[in-house]
Amino acid sequence: MDGRPGGEVAPPAIAGAPGDPELRWSSQATTIAGIEHDLATFWALPQVNAVVGAPSDRVIAARTSVLNLVVVARSPELGERAASMLSMLTGRHPSRTLILVPTDPDGPDWLRAQVKAYCMVPRAGAPETCAEQIYATAGGSSGRHLGAIVAPLLVHDLPVTLWWPDEPPFGTAVARDLIGMADRLVVDGSSWAGDGLDRLRALAALGGGSLAISDFALMRQARWREAVASVFDRPEFLPYLRSLRRVAVTYGTHGGPDAEARTNIVKPIYHVAWLASRLGLRLVRPLERAGRPGPVRRPTPGAGPEPGRGMRALLAWERGGEVEVVIRPVISGMPGGTTLRVEILAERRGTELRAEVTAEAERVHVRVWEDGVEALERPFVAPRLTDVDLLAQAIEAGGRDLVANGATSMAAALAGPDAGDPA
Amino acid sequence: MGYEAKVLAALRNEFGGHAITSEQVRPMTDDASAVAADAPAPSPTDAPEVSGEAKAAPRPGRFADDVPLTARDLRLARLGKRRAAGKPLENPLREGLRLERVPDPATFVLFGATGDLAHRKVVPALFQLWRTNLLPHEFAIVGIGRRPYTDDAFRTELRASLDEFSRVLPIETAVWDEFAGRIRYQLGSFDDPALYDELVVRLDDLDRERGTAGNRLYYLATQPSAFAEIIANLGRVGLDHEQHAGGWRRIVVEKPFGRDLTSAIRLNREVGKVFRESQVYRIDHYLGKETVRNILVFRFGNGIFEPIWHRRYVDHVQITVAESIGVEKRGAFYEEAGASRDFLQNHLMQLLSLVAMEPPATFDAEALRDEKVKVLRAIEPMNPDSVAANVVRGQYGPGWVTAGQVGGYRSEAQVDPESETETYVAAHLFVDDWRWAGVPFYLRAGKRLPKRATEIAIQFKQVPHALFKDSSVDPEANLLALRIQPDEGILLRFAAKVPGLGVDVRAVNMDFTYGSAFSMDSPDAYETLILDALLGDASLFTRADEVEKAWAIVNPIIDAWADAPAPEFPNYAAGSWGPAESDALLARDGRRWRRI
Repeated sequence: MDGRPGGEVAPPAIAGAPGDPELRWSSQATTIAGIEHDLATFWALPQVNAVVGAPSDRVIAARTSVLNLVVVARSPELGERAASMLSMLTGRHPSRTLILVPTDPDGPDWLRAQVKAYCMVPRAGAPETCAEQIYATAGGSSGRHLGAIVAPLLVHDLPVTLWWPDEPPFGTAVARDLIGMADRLVVDGSSWAGDGLDRLRALAALGGGSLAISDFALMRQARWREAVASVFDRPEFLPYLRSLRRVAVTYGTHGGPDAEARTNIVKPIYHVAWLASRLGLRLVRPLERAGRPGPVRRPTPGAGPEPGRGMRALLAWERGGEVEVVIRPVISGMPGGTTLRVEILAERRGTELRAEVTAEAERVHVRVWEDGVEALERPFVAPRLTDVDLLAQAIEAGGRDLVANGATSMAAALAGPDAGDPA
Repeated sequence: MGYEAKVLAALRNEFGGHAITSEQVRPMTDDASAVAADAPAPSPTDAPEVSGEAKAAPRPGRFADDVPLTARDLRLARLGKRRAAGKPLENPLREGLRLERVPDPATFVLFGATGDLAHRKVVPALFQLWRTNLLPHEFAIVGIGRRPYTDDAFRTELRASLDEFSRVLPIETAVWDEFAGRIRYQLGSFDDPALYDELVVRLDDLDRERGTAGNRLYYLATQPSAFAEIIANLGRVGLDHEQHAGGWRRIVVEKPFGRDLTSAIRLNREVGKVFRESQVYRIDHYLGKETVRNILVFRFGNGIFEPIWHRRYVDHVQITVAESIGVEKRGAFYEEAGASRDFLQNHLMQLLSLVAMEPPATFDAEALRDEKVKVLRAIEPMNPDSVAANVVRGQYGPGWVTAGQVGGYRSEAQVDPESETETYVAAHLFVDDWRWAGVPFYLRAGKRLPKRATEIAIQFKQVPHALFKDSSVDPEANLLALRIQPDEGILLRFAAKVPGLGVDVRAVNMDFTYGSAFSMDSPDAYETLILDALLGDASLFTRADEVEKAWAIVNPIIDAWADAPAPEFPNYAAGSWGPAESDALLARDGRRWRRI
C-alpha cells in the first residue's frame, strides 16, 4: 500500500487551444513506486492512446520527452514559482520534470509527490503531446538525499538538466549528488547573496569536466554582447579590438555603508570576463577595491569615476600591453548589480576609440567616438529576456558552451581567490 | 589547407570575399596584367589607396603583390618579413552570438518592388531580419518599379503589405520607423537606359549617406522576361563591377530559370556576360525551408542512416509534392508552365539531389553543389519511348477537395477550355551511379490532390529471411519518411511483437514531429535565403550547371509530349491522388504509392 489517494483523470476532451497546456492527470503518491505506478496508469489510459477516427475523434496523444528537467527549490514558494514557469514551457520543451522541495531536515522522513500530466496541441491539427510533472516535497533525511529520489525517476537515455534557482549549496553532498547526475546545470548568478563571488568561483570549478553550465546572469547580457560586438563588425573599428586599453563597467547599487559588498556584481564581472576570454587576455591582477570603502554617492553628470570607488583589475595581452579594468557602482533605482554602462577604450597608432553601450528598457544604445569625434550612434531594439525565455534557451542549448565556459572561468579568475583560501 | 586552396582563398580576399573557382585562376604568368582577367577592372575612382612600394609593378612569377608564390616568398611571408596574402579580419566577439558573421553594410536594390512577390515575401523577410537585428545598421533598400510613387508613398504601400503579410504582428512602430528611413523608391522602366544612369548616382549617394560601402545586392523580383534586360543594363553602366577596396555586387534571380534547356542556357549566358557565377544567387525558395535543410543534417549529422542509404538496403524512394489548391489566380502562368516546369524541374529535382547526393567533403557552397550536380548527371535523359513508359501526366477535372466542390482545370480563369497543360506529373527515374544503381526513384507532383503534403519516403528492402512464419501478417519492410510540410517531421516504421502468447508481428511507427520537440519559430525560407545572399553564402542557391542539368532531364519529357498525340485530359478528379496511370507506373514494379 503506497497511500495514494488515487488519480484524478480529467475528461477525455481534446486539449485546449493550440499551445495551451491542459492538465490531463493529477494524483498524489508518497513513494517512488507510487509515482511510477501513477505515471504508468496515466499512459495506459485509453483516451490518451485513442486514435484518429475513433469515436472520441481525438488525435493520438504522443508521449514526448526530450529531457529530464530536475528543479531544486529551497522553499515551497520557489517551487511554485518554478512550476508556474515550467508550465509555460510544457509545449515548447516537453520533458519529465521533477520539482524537489526539501523541507524540515530534522523531522521524520517523508515524501509527498503530486504527479501531473499536461497535454497540449502544438498547433491546430497536430497530434497532441503530453508530458509529466512530479512535484515532490521531502522531509527529514529524504530531503537531504535528493539524489535517491531523482535517480529512479529519470527517463533513461535522456539528458538531465538540473535547474537550481536561488542559492545552490555548492560543495555539499546533496549538490554533488545531483550535479553528478546532470548533463547541464542551470543557475542564476545574479540572484546569489552578497557580491556573489564565492558561488561564482565554485561554479567555475564545476566547468572543467563534461558538465555544461548555463548561468542566467551571463545569458541575460546577450543583448549587451551583441551591441559590443556590433561596434567591431565595422571593418574600420575592428583593428582597435586588438588594442584595447581599458574596460569600465558601471552598475547600479542602492547605497549605504556596505553597498559594494552587499551588491551582487556577477553580471558586471561577466561583461569584462567575456571580453577578456574572447580576446585571449591574461589576468595580471584580480579585482580589488579601488580605494577605502565608503558610501557610494550619486554620480555627478559628466564627471569621471570617483576615486576610491569600485574595483579595479589588470589584464594583459600575450604580446605585451596592459588592459585596465574598472567595475564601479553608482546609486540607481535599478535592481542592485544591474549593468548601466559598458565603456571600452582602445588606442591604436595614435588614435583613440571610445565605445559606450547603455541599455534602457527594450533598447540598447551604442555610441562610438574616434579621437573624440562621434563616429557611430546606433540604437538596437533588443527586448530583455524573461526567466522563462532564459530557461527555454538553457534547455535548448546543446552541449557545452565554450564561450560561456571561458567567460565563467575568467570571471572566477577576476574575482580572485576566496578570502578564506590559504593563497 | 592545400596550396591551391590557399591561392584561391587569397584571391577570394582580393576580390572582396567572393568565391573564385579554380577555372578562374590563371596559371602563373610573367605578365601580371593577364592575371585574373576575369576580375572586374577597377575604375580610377575604385582604386584603393596604396603605398609607393605596393604600387611598384609586380615581380615576374607572382600573381599579385599580395600573393606569395615562390617557396622563398612563402617562407618569408610566414616569418612576417614580407606581406602575406591579405587575411580577412574576423570579429572574435561574434563567436557564440546568434550570428557568427553579420552581413556587410549594403544596399538592397529591389527590381519589381511594387509587385506581388516583393510585397508578400521579400519585404516582409527583410523587415523580419531587420527587427531581429540581423541586418547591418548601414543598410538601405532601393525599390524600383514603374508606378509613380514617391519615397513616402512607397513606404506607405510597404507598411500596408507588412500589416497583411508579416509573420510577426503587430508591426512595432519604432522598428518600422527605423526600417522605413532606409527605404527609397526609384521610378523607372526596366528597359529604359536612363533608369540605370540615375541608379548609379542614387546608389553612390546612398553609399555616402548611409555608409553602405558600395556593397549591393540586386534582387530581381520581376517577370522572368525582364531578367536579361535588367542584367544587361546593370552591366552597361558598370553596376556589376566589384571594387578592390570592398564593394561587392551580387544578384539574386528568382525562378523560373528559363522555360526549357535552351532558354536556361541563354539566360545563364546573358547573366554570365555581366556577372561572374560567384555573384549570382538563383533562388528556389524550397531550399530555404528548414525541413529541406534538415535533410542534410539528418543524413550527414547522424551516423546510423548513411551506412544503409544505398541500393543494398533501399528498395525504392518516393518523393511527393502534393497541393490541394488549384492554380488560383495564376491560370495564365500555369498554362505556360505546367507541373513539369513548376515542380519537376526545380522542387522535385532539388529534393532528389539532396536525398541521393554523396556526402560533400566540406559544408561549403561549391562542395555541396558539386555533389548535387553529380546526381543530376547520373540521371539518364529520356527518349520518347522511355518517356511514354516512365512518365505520367495528368490534368484534374471537377471533384471534391477538402470538403468543397471544385471545378476542373479547364474551367479555371485564364485557362484554355481545351488546355493540354498537365497539372500532375509522375516519373520513374534511375540515378545511375554506384550508390543507387537499380533503385527506382518515383517522383510525383500535382495540384488539386487530396491534401497538401511534401514528403520523401525511403522504402527499405524486406528482411532477407522470413523468420516469423507463424505471424498472421508478414512484417512490413522498414520505411523512413521525411515530412517536409506540413507536420514537419520524421517517421520510422519498424516491426514489433504484438503483446500476447504467440509471435504476432505488426508494423509500428516511431514518429518525430518538429512541433513537439522544437516549438520555436522557424524562419521563413526567404529570410534564410536573403540573409545568406547578404552573407555571400551560396549553399542554398542553384548554380548555373545545376539548372541546366535539371532542364536536360525535364526537357526531353516536354519534347516527347509535344510530339505525342493530344492527351485525354482531364484524367483525374480533383481530390484524388492523380490518374490511374500513375498507380500503374508503380504497380508494374509490384509497388504502390505511399498513402499520405
